This record gives sequence, C-alpha cells and structure tokens, in this order.
Amino acid sequence: MTDDADRIREEFFAESQEIVEALSRDLLLLDHGQKEGRTDPDLVNSVFRGVHTLKGVAGMFGYSELSESSHALEDLLDQVRLGRIALTQTALDVLFEGVEVLQRLLGAARGESHDVDLEGYARRIRNLLNSAVERDSDSLASLDLDPGVLSVLTEYEEHRLRTSVEQNIPLYQLRAKFALATIDTELESLKQQVKSFAEIITYLPSTEPTDDDALELVILCASRRTLAQFRETLSSSAIVVDLVARRAGSVVPSIVPSRPGELFDLPSARGSMFPGAQLAKDADVTPRAIAKTVRVDIEKLDHLMNVVGELGIVKSSVSRIIETLSERPELKPLLAELHRAQRAFERNLASLQEGILDVRMVPLSQTFDRLGRAVRQASRERDKEVRLAVTGADTEVDKLIVEELVDPLLHIIRNAVDHGLETTEARQRIGKPITGTIALNAYQKGNHVVIEIEDDGAGIDPNKVAARALERAILTEDEIADMTVEEIRQLIFLPGFSTAREVTDLSGRGVGMDVVRTNIGRLGGVVDVQSEVGVGTKFTLTLPITLAIVNALVLTVRGQVFAIPLSVVQEALFFDERGVRQVEGREVITLRGESLPIARVAQLFRLDSGHATSMSKPSPNAITPQQARRESTKTRAGSTRGFVVVASLGQRRLGLVVDALEGQRDIITKPLGKSLASVKGISGATDLGDQRVILVLDAPSILNEILAQDGGHHARLPS
Amino acid sequence: MSNLAKRGTVIPSAIPHGPRHDRIWVGTEGVQEFLVIQLGDQRMGLPLASVREILKVAPVTLVPRAPRAVLGILSVRGRITTVIDLRLHLNMPEASDTRSSRILLVHGGEETLGVRVDAVLNVVRLRESEVEPAAIVGSELPEHVMGIGRPFRERMEAANPAARVAKGSFERDADAEVVILLDPTILLRLRK
Repeated sequence: MTDDADRIREEFFAESQEIVEALSRDLLLLDHGQKEGRTDPDLVNSVFRGVHTLKGVAGMFGYSELSESSHALEDLLDQVRLGRIALTQTALDVLFEGVEVLQRLLGAARGESHDVDLEGYARRIRNLLNSAVERDSDSLASLDLDPGVLSVLTEYEEHRLRTSVEQNIPLYQLRAKFALATIDTELESLKQQVKSFAEIITYLPSTEPTDDDALELVILCASRRTLAQFRETLSSSAIVVDLVARRAGSVVPSIVPSRPGELFDLPSARGSMFPGAQLAKDADVTPRAIAKTVRVDIEKLDHLMNVVGELGIVKSSVSRIIETLSERPELKPLLAELHRAQRAFERNLASLQEGILDVRMVPLSQTFDRLGRAVRQASRERDKEVRLAVTGADTEVDKLIVEELVDPLLHIIRNAVDHGLETTEARQRIGKPITGTIALNAYQKGNHVVIEIEDDGAGIDPNKVAARALERAILTEDEIADMTVEEIRQLIFLPGFSTAREVTDLSGRGVGMDVVRTNIGRLGGVVDVQSEVGVGTKFTLTLPITLAIVNALVLTVRGQVFAIPLSVVQEALFFDERGVRQVEGREVITLRGESLPIARVAQLFRLDSGHATSMSKPSPNAITPQQARRESTKTRAGSTRGFVVVASLGQRRLGLVVDALEGQRDIITKPLGKSLASVKGISGATDLGDQRVILVLDAPSILNEILAQDGGHHARLPS
Repeated sequence: MSNLAKRGTVIPSAIPHGPRHDRIWVGTEGVQEFLVIQLGDQRMGLPLASVREILKVAPVTLVPRAPRAVLGILSVRGRITTVIDLRLHLNMPEASDTRSSRILLVHGGEETLGVRVDAVLNVVRLRESEVEPAAIVGSELPEHVMGIGRPFRERMEAANPAARVAKGSFERDADAEVVILLDPTILLRLRK
C-alpha cells in the first residue's frame, strides 16, 4: 500500500517536473518571439494548458501551495490568452518567476526546504491582472458572418477572431462533410493539414441539413493565403472553401506571403537557440508517441546492469570450460558448435549492455533550458542584453550526471552574465555589439562529453586575479612572480577566491569556482578556463558520458589488485627509487623538469607483501589461473621496480607508486556498503568478471589527502 | 533465492525502542524462529527472518582502512557486500576457516552484511517461556544480546532431526542448550 502510494507520488513528481520543464521551454520561445515583436498563440495556449494540468494534479495530491500558485498563474495566462494582458517583458518576468516558484514548490513537496515569497508573487500577479483591459467587439461587426456562429464562440475564440481581423488577416470558412464513422480521424488529418498555413479559430456543425450518417462542419480559419492557394492546397472537392467577406471599410490585403506557415513560425534560428522546443512541438503533433514511452526508476536500470555483469561472469566461466575441453580431440565437432554459441552469446551480451547504457542517456536539452531561464533572469536583473546561443543540446549524457551538472553550469553561466559581460555602456564605448553573446556548446569526444560556456565579455584579467590573490593572502608576491599568465588564471578555482568587487545577488553567493571544480571532479570530470582580456572567456567542462561504465587502469600493489579510472590518469612511467627526493618532508620525483609529489600506495593503505590477493584465509581455489600467470610475469619483470601512475585532476598532480600494471578494463563501479563509508581513498568496487572483486581508487580523495597535508609525511597518515 | 530469503522480511528486532524483552516477541504469536550458529564454544541465535542467505566461505577482497572486524568485500550476485568476522566483531580470538565455516547474509536494518561464523547448526522455534529476556538476565549483557534461549531438548529434536546430528559434539557441555539471542540491528552497527 505504502509502496503504491510512494510510486504514485513519484509519478506525480516526475509528471510535474516535466510540465515545469515544458513551461520553461515554451516561455523561452515566447520571450524570443516577443523580442521580435510577435506572439505565438499556440505557445500561450500550451503554457496555459500546462499550468492548468499542474494545478489539477497538485490539488489532487494535496499540495495546496503548489495548486494555488498554479491557479494564480493560470488566471494570468488566461488573460494573456484572451489578449487582455499584453505579453510584454514585464508580463514575461512574472511568468518566468511563476515557473521558478512552481519549481521551488515542487522541490518543497519533495521535502526540500524553500523560501519562496508567495505573497510577493501573488501581489505581482494581481498587479498585472488589474492592468487587464476589456476590449469592445466592434471589429467583429464588420464580418459577414452568421450571427449564430458569432454567438457560440468561446471568449478565447472570439479573441483570436478579433486579432485576425485587426491584423487584416483574411478569414476563410471551410465546409466539409464527414462520415460519422470516421469523423475523428478525418477531422484530425484535415486539421493537421490546415494548421501548417492557417490558424483554426473554431469548428461548428453546419446548420444545413445533412444525411443521417454524415456531419457537415464549418471550420473558421485565418490565413494569409489567397482563396485560390487555399483551395489548391486542400485539393479535395469535398471541402468547400469560401472567403469571409468584410463589410464596408475593411481591407483585404493584397500582399500574399508565399511560404506556408510563415505566420506562426518563429525564426528558423529557434531550432538551435532552444532545441528543447523542437521536441515539444513534435510531441504536440504525435500524442501517441508519448504513450509509447515509460518512466523507469534508475535503480531498476542499475539492477539490470548488475545482471549484465553477472552474465559477463557466466561468459568467462564458459570460456574457461571451453578452454579445458579443447584439449580433448574427440570433442572437436561439438566444441566448434559450442564456440559459435559462445560467440553469439558474447555479441548479444555486448549489445544488451550497450542497450541498457543507452536507456540511461538523456539529452542535455533539459539542463540547457534551465540555463536559458537563468540567463534571461540574470540579464534582466543586471540590465544587460544577452543572447544565448546553444549548440549540441541533443548530446546525450548519463541521467545521474545531468542532474549533478545543473548547479555548476548555473554558476558558471551566472558568472558570465554578471562578471564576464561588460555593461551595455561599456560595450558601446569600446565598440562591441550591445548584445552580449554567451555560447553554450556541447559535443561528444570519444568517451567524454565536452561542454563549453563562452562569453564575448571582458575576459579574466590576470593582473586583477593576482592582486586579489595577494589581497586574500592566498599567495605571496614572489610566488606570483614565478607564475605564468595561465597559472594565475587558474587561481580562480581556489577556495575563497572571488574577483567580483561587490557581492551581487547573482553570483556572489559564497560558492565559488572551487565548488564548481569539486562538483565536476566528483563526476570524474575536469574544468578548464581560457580567457583573453577584452575578447572573452571560455570554460570547458569535460565529463565522462556515463558513470555506469568507465575505462580504468588495472594495477597491483603487494599482490592486491586495484583499478583507477583512466579519466584521471595522465600517464604511467617506470619508478626509479633513485629519483626520489625529499622536499619539505614530502617525497617528490622529477617529471619533465617539474616536481611531482608521489604517494606509495602500499604505505598509504598499509598493504603487506605477505597478503595474497583477495584472500582472508587459505582456500583451495585461492589463486586463479590469471593470478598465477600474473605473478610469474611480474617476477620476471622485477617486481621491486614498480610504476608511477600520474593522476591529474585539474592543475593538481600526484604520482601513485604501484607494483605492476595489468592493462585497461571497462568497469562498473559499485558503491561500498554504509559500513565502509568511513574508508577514504576508495570510491567503490567492481567485479572483474572472473569472480574477482577489486577496489577502485578514489583519485580525487587521495590527491586531497596527500596534497592537503602541509609538509607532513604520508607514511604517518591516519588510517 | 534461498528458502530462508523467501520466509519474508518481518524483523521483530527492528523495533528500535521500548523495553528490551519486547524486541523478541513483537509481531509473533508467542513463537519465534532463530537460526542457531556456532561461534567458539558458544551457540548464538539470529532471528531467522533477518538471515537472507547462507553462503559457503568464498574469497573476499581486503579493504584497507576498514574497521578491524571487516574481513573484506564479496560480490553476491553483483551486489558488493561487506563481510565481517563475527569472532573479531565480538572480541573473540581469530580462527581459520574450516569446512563448516559459513557466511550468513544478515539484514541489520541499514545494510545487509555478510557475517562469518564457525558453523550453522539448526533452526529453533522458541516459545516465550523458553527465553529469558536480557532485561531480566542482567544489565551486564552486551547491548546486542536480546535474550537467552533455553529450548527444551525434546521439542527441539522432534522439530528438527538435523539438530540431533549437529548437537552431538556439544552434549558434554551442560550449557549446550543455551542459545545467546542476538539483535541484528545492534549487532551489525560497525564502529571503527
């Protein structure tokens, strides 16, 4: 029972979240259209419907604040829909605030805390509502329409009709007969056909008598096409198209745009500007596509992934059996068959794994829509004109990564508006276009996704950064003198650093770029910054596509096997004991002329050479054939020599001294249980597929541990 | 899934507060089933419902910096499971694995842990009259002990013939029938 209730509640959250995201998308499109001086009535309607639905479901689940806020927003949208409130930037401000309020209340319903000023929000809506104007219906009187038709129009339909008349868009009346049995599908297909070049205002049953099994409909629509073009397009003799004439004083424009759909199309750039909107449009057209998708708890996918891992283990045991059997010549024919079956199994298993990974992937467009909202808000608050240009929003990333990405990206993008872009006056003065541009680009690069946030603002001035570092006593003058311009720019990632002269609402919230770097690092990613004074700044985030499977380097230390994600491994070199120097109590080697601090994993983890891999106590099958082979090769290579695995995260590097390298593997990192939560330096474990479980090194945590201790010796680390 | 795991997940001991002796009997009709295990010369009982599975001892992967009682980790059908040595956990001397050593998967409220024991003996059904709640036995008992079970020999043998075999070597001990009943939620709380 509780499970069911929880599940339904989860459904509600997921649905509401989708509605809010769609609202955000539609509002961004409306905002864009407004700036170009047009309003797409379909979009207004879509926003209205979304808020209406949200109001309903929120009420059903007893979230009264959410329901009431939706209700207020719905009232406002209704007036906008009816043309009583113009969709100005001010009105859009309130609508965008509405989305933000709904988003926060939704968070609150999930148990997060919120500090929404509901009263202020309600007041702003009321103020807008009070500005609503009633319009007279005189303009309709000029139409040569059956008064019976006019009297049954809804308020909204009347508004749309009036708008068309006022904008001198010709009105057409279509008469079409439908058989009762097929009216649903036929009417729908006619509507789809007409929609591309005309706005359907209403359709009503005709007053003229028809056959018993047929119904004649009168469809009233507005279109800039000529009557001839209209008739030609429909190309069906069963449909009669007539122009609705206007009485004295009205003008039918002679100009006729030739491109279909021009009236309602937003600029073609919108596809790239707000890619999410395209999805919304498509969904509108094919409602059935929605019904074919399901929401799946990510835990269920994790479970499937585990099963795939298990199958991998089965696969390797079968391989071992085949290997043993291959020594028996009498089994040859059977073995060949077994081989074929095994290969088919492997192939299908690989595609199963790929399929599951694919399901976890979601496009970045949802995240980018939120960023679009943030940019708009920030630019309004700072009174800067900003254009957000998005590319690659369809790039797909693991669902879990997408969720963690929102905050860091928001921070960077707010910074760009707040500190990156110059003020309008400053831009004018130096001859830059008044509208600043922030480009958000995403693309896939091998097993990584790259996200770039680039602005054409003032750039990061290394002198200012250096001055701030001195002021905050982060560095001394001598230290700064030794640094390159690039190194100085990297200082912005240090904790407690902020070049903003004043704390603003937008980005001066005490979290800095260091938090961004930490959060991205937690996802196994890195942040880099490039900047040129006067030209702009570019932040580049490089992230693994999925957390589920990562490419890792498998290594051994004192016979115990570990893995380390390759994303943090810069290189691996032979370890030479003679090259180790002591610098301030820390062991350091020289790599290409630079000092590299090292950590001996055996000491760090207190591993004794006496331990056999993964055995607590002796057992008959303790050493697998693989291990036995490995042991022997290692001896030949000389196990005392070892390797240094250079781990790098951002600007920090650390050499991990290990005994041997085993090669690369794709691994699925699984978390250790709660009972081992206190264990630092290990991020999880993975099944190697041959019944070996190995530990995955947590490079960021080890780096922090070693590099944080000032001059301390890591042999004395607390364990 | 093992038969044990299918027995349902009602864990009476999961009731966090209240007098100790209540922990044993909540939600039962006066009879509780315990899995009896051997640890050194002691017999201990875990509520049967908390035991998800019994595994043969398998190689575990050592975890550096883990609490002392942790033997390592094990993959149980893809799930990484922490295995503890109940001997070390209860400050008893270490012992090597024998043929009878087993790893029990025990659900302890927060997490299901692997618990290595010397041997798994039998299942006992205990009536309320056969258990001395810890609150009565005395305050010197550790917190993870929820009572002392004293099953009547005749009934135990009748109910589970296998018990007769397992019992064999302990008959000399006058206290052989005493089962220390453990509370998994408290037992499996690991301290470093």
